[in-house]
Amino acid sequence: MSRMKKTEPENFGAFSRRNFFKSLGTVAATAATAQVQSVAAELEKVNSEKIIGPNAVPVTLTVNGEKLQLLLEPRVTLLDALRNYSSLTGAKEGCDRATCGACTVLLGDTPIYACSKLAIEAQDQEITTVEGLAKNDKLTKVQQAFLDKDALQCGYCTPGFVMSVTALLKKNPHPNADDVKHACAGNTCRCGTHPRIIQAALKAAGVEVASKTEVIDYV
Amino acid sequence: MKSFQYATVHSTASARELVADKGAYLAGGNDLLGLLKEYLISADTLVNIKSLPGLNKIEHGRNVWTIGSLVTVAQIENDADIKKTFPGLHEAAADVASQQIRNVATVGGNLAQHSRCWYFRHRDTQCLKKNGDLCYARNGENRYHSLFTGNSCISPVVSSLATIFTSLDATAIVLRDGKETRMSMAELYQRAWENPLAHNSLSNTDLILRVEIPTTRSRSAYLQASDKHAFDWALVSCAAATTIEGGKLKSPRVTLGSISPVPHQVEAANSFLDGKVLDDATATHAADLILKDAKPLEHNAYKVPLAHALIRRTLLKLKGEV
Repeated sequence: MSRMKKTEPENFGAFSRRNFFKSLGTVAATAATAQVQSVAAELEKVNSEKIIGPNAVPVTLTVNGEKLQLLLEPRVTLLDALRNYSSLTGAKEGCDRATCGACTVLLGDTPIYACSKLAIEAQDQEITTVEGLAKNDKLTKVQQAFLDKDALQCGYCTPGFVMSVTALLKKNPHPNADDVKHACAGNTCRCGTHPRIIQAALKAAGVEVASKTEVIDYV
Repeated sequence: MKSFQYATVHSTASARELVADKGAYLAGGNDLLGLLKEYLISADTLVNIKSLPGLNKIEHGRNVWTIGSLVTVAQIENDADIKKTFPGLHEAAADVASQQIRNVATVGGNLAQHSRCWYFRHRDTQCLKKNGDLCYARNGENRYHSLFTGNSCISPVVSSLATIFTSLDATAIVLRDGKETRMSMAELYQRAWENPLAHNSLSNTDLILRVEIPTTRSRSAYLQASDKHAFDWALVSCAAATTIEGGKLKSPRVTLGSISPVPHQVEAANSFLDGKVLDDATATHAADLILKDAKPLEHNAYKVPLAHALIRRTLLKLKGEV
């Protein structure tokens, strides 16, 4: 192939001419008008505005309380970063289009789709995956309830559901079945275990409901 | 996804500068990443605007409430004051997608999202919206498409917030060429009515900053009909807002979503309802007026009776205790 493309656009990389001049200008203006202490803060702001990528850049994720130092292209999603760069395969990839919920993780206490968040955006936030729930070989109430109620078949969607239910119980410790349905609307189980997932969520919340389907207790 | 550069900005000036000609603003990212993953759009730089100051707040004025464009749909859903003052807005927000999406999706992104037409979303289809010369939906699978259009593209607007904002007479404040421009919801989508290439009236560099809602109308309601009970796009959505004085409607507004490239409002229906006592007969006549010029296609004629019922129900819901 003889077709050669000019690969360096004007703004390529962190040290483009424009950004360099821009930083200079801003710092000078700031120094003239503001306290010296705030210059550092301003400088940090300007520096954070620089264009990075498209090649891999350092990204620090805090996952399950642990800091992960990764080298990622800006286009890498949080899900990709967890599964393919950190060997945390608990969050599953189903649709990769914010539809199935298998990739649900918590940012702080908030459930989100890891497939539709860039990893680079998830820095500075506590990320919890299903691997981060059990402590000292002890399952959480939600995990145990999923087992007790046999709330899974193939299990591929389960980590996502567990995270959605976990987030729900943090926000609302005493949900009813409708609350569970609302909280889990963004998760899909193709095996069709939804009724038992609802029972599991209610059991984890300490609410036992009369079930229309017979549930075999394995534990 | 193709690779792209990335920047986080702290001022709208930097945002505008860095997005340049070929960049894209990144807020919630739900729609943007979907478009990028399907190669429907390309962006050389994603400019993360979530650190722009002051845009993630809901502010209560006496006459006008201001919702920043970075406020998430979940914030609206969970705001007790919104639920009290604009129940229709609460209902519309609660019906958006799933909690995982509502937790990150922003007001600006919801308003600016691209068409959900499955021909547009198919990466191999070169439809009108992608500069092709044919609307595949018109003679194809069009059960989710429009009953009204001003051009040859029949993909409808799907933002449920746009539907309720239209009934509440909300104004979007858009940063365009360094200046704040005020746009009614009709203006925000007008270009999608005229031009098959457009999803709304915004250019690549326009940035929605805020939405202002007048508190004029004390009652509002939103209903949508979908195939699924939750986490589904509306087949038809309906929003209504009004004040009721002495048992009579004052400045009522009814808007339909998902049946036109723009939030569908019929002036004749609004003025017919004005000053009327709300009952089955008036609601039915208003629904007749709103759907009078509907042009159903092969597979979406069901939307006419569905919309008719939804208009009546939404209107009658306004009568409920506030």
